[in-house]
Amino acid sequence: MTDAALPAPVTGPARDRERIAAFGFIAPSVLIVALVFVLPLALLLGVSVLDARGDITSAHYTRLLGTPYYLGVIWNSLRLGLLTTLIAFLVSYPAAFALARARGALRSILLATLFLPLAASVIVKAFAWTILLRSDGLINTVLITIGIIEDPIRMIFTQTALITGAVNIFLPFMVLPIYAVVAQLDGRYAEAAATLGASPVVVFFRVILPLTLPGIIAGVALVFSLSVSAYVVPTLLIGEKYPTLATTIAKAYLLAREPGFGAAAGVVLLAIAVIVVALSARLSREPT
Amino acid sequence: MHAFSRRSLLKTGAAFAATFAAPALVRAAPKEIVIGGPAGAAKYFNADLFPVLEKKLDCKVLYEGTNSLTNLQKMQADKASPKISVVIMDDPVMLPAAAEGLITKMSSSAIPNLGKLVDGAVHQDGLWANYQKPWAGIAYSTKRMKTPPASWADLWDTKYESKIIVPSLSNTEGFWALLAAAHLETGKPYKEAQYEIDVAFKKVKSLKANLLNVYTNAPQAINLLEQGEAWMIGGQFSAYTLIRKADGSPVDLAIPADGGFAMPSGIAKVAGGPAGDLADAVIEFFLSPEAQTILAEKAFVAPTNQATPRPAGFPDPAALFAPDWAFVAKNRAGWVDRWSKEMT
Repeated sequence: MTDAALPAPVTGPARDRERIAAFGFIAPSVLIVALVFVLPLALLLGVSVLDARGDITSAHYTRLLGTPYYLGVIWNSLRLGLLTTLIAFLVSYPAAFALARARGALRSILLATLFLPLAASVIVKAFAWTILLRSDGLINTVLITIGIIEDPIRMIFTQTALITGAVNIFLPFMVLPIYAVVAQLDGRYAEAAATLGASPVVVFFRVILPLTLPGIIAGVALVFSLSVSAYVVPTLLIGEKYPTLATTIAKAYLLAREPGFGAAAGVVLLAIAVIVVALSARLSREPT
Repeated sequence: MHAFSRRSLLKTGAAFAATFAAPALVRAAPKEIVIGGPAGAAKYFNADLFPVLEKKLDCKVLYEGTNSLTNLQKMQADKASPKISVVIMDDPVMLPAAAEGLITKMSSSAIPNLGKLVDGAVHQDGLWANYQKPWAGIAYSTKRMKTPPASWADLWDTKYESKIIVPSLSNTEGFWALLAAAHLETGKPYKEAQYEIDVAFKKVKSLKANLLNVYTNAPQAINLLEQGEAWMIGGQFSAYTLIRKADGSPVDLAIPADGGFAMPSGIAKVAGGPAGDLADAVIEFFLSPEAQTILAEKAFVAPTNQATPRPAGFPDPAALFAPDWAFVAKNRAGWVDRWSKEMT
């Protein structure tokens, strides 16, 4: 009787039917992915290796990766991504703990302040920064009023303005994944470590930080991919003084009419983002 | 077989009543025409010019406002079956459009106003015509500067550190800073200096310390000038600056002593475009004193039809310099690339 309760192993034609059925179920998804992702990517890759006459060439990649100016552009994008991610992490980590510890109305207020800015468009937020950072803007006015400075500091169209704006705009994407992990953190692990004689610093680095790593990795992957490919933020906050891959792609397509070069820059940008996401996925899989 | 309901009977009755009481309502829908042109002009085109045009020609205008190069790309992509009938672009972009056969010759029998334009306004035997002539100088903040800039050399004055904006060379108006630089560095008049591009780049690079920003987006730059964040925009159009001044903004346009520039805008009929006869009528309207008076008053652009009176305060077009656009069009792509590399 016990034998009869076990499912019979599927063999022969029955197994084939199951496979066909499984393929039938996944076929629509495969089709959508192929149409929405694979096809455009294939087109992008194709255009990036064609010259104006339609012949295959590596000239666009040679120009991009072999010219000091464009290497500088790639570095500018990476620098924007790295600095934004680093500062966003340093701000977000304690903020996520504060959010997780808060209770009642305070927690609702904190969550609202985190979510509400997501409803405003990036363009609006970037413009808002240009208003705040002006010579007669809020920041300079406050600093002059309280006597810290005498003359307004030029903040608009500087790298400080760019990084400040980018951190502000992409911050929620770092806080939320870390908060999701911190909220589920069992406080007894830290207590146990302390009971066993670990100092607060050791508790943080050996217990808390490793346990919150999945949230950090997700946040880093999100903020880095968003900031490395940001277009509106550098365009509005620093302009042509800080060319990035995203602004170079726009210029290649919209102004210079060089789709091949624009596509090659797009492939490089995509490769950078994919490497970071793949690395973070790998890190989050490894046991901590 | 249909059963007559009370509702369907009422509907039929209403349709009959409308047909006899208001024939205009059931007349054929007005003809539509697609006009491609600059985004910056959309405001005064839509508010002041198109309502008059639509009433006069009994048509509906669909305006595709973007920059000239984008319209050129659209025309290249749609060459087999064009969607745009009339295109409005700067002269430097008309040159490749003409060379690629994207625009077609206009006849003075269909467009009589072609024969009434000032000298030099009809190009390449009628492939395109200038319907207006904006002029360019230095836009400045009247809040920050009590006296208008006197010379293009003022942009380089060290007292204006981080206070100057110039348009990117990707924009048509970006060429003025380069041209002024060539003139200042060589000491030659514009006509000769315009070909000295290496010298021009050397001089323009020395402007970096004074630059607050290099723009591709004109409204953002004007905004900074209005706020007093920028003091001058080196190389700006009358159509951009004086409209803002008329709205009460503390900005003005100076034509420096060493000379301002003329930037004729062209209108052309798209080769093989739909509604050919209507396209002729639209172009005839744009070249008429009626339309040009509206544009002069609302957009501060100099008229090209000799029968249109030139409003007071408008500069004499003969005193403004018009560059060799064929030379600019031929070299522009390389200059834009060089500009990107040397100005960042």
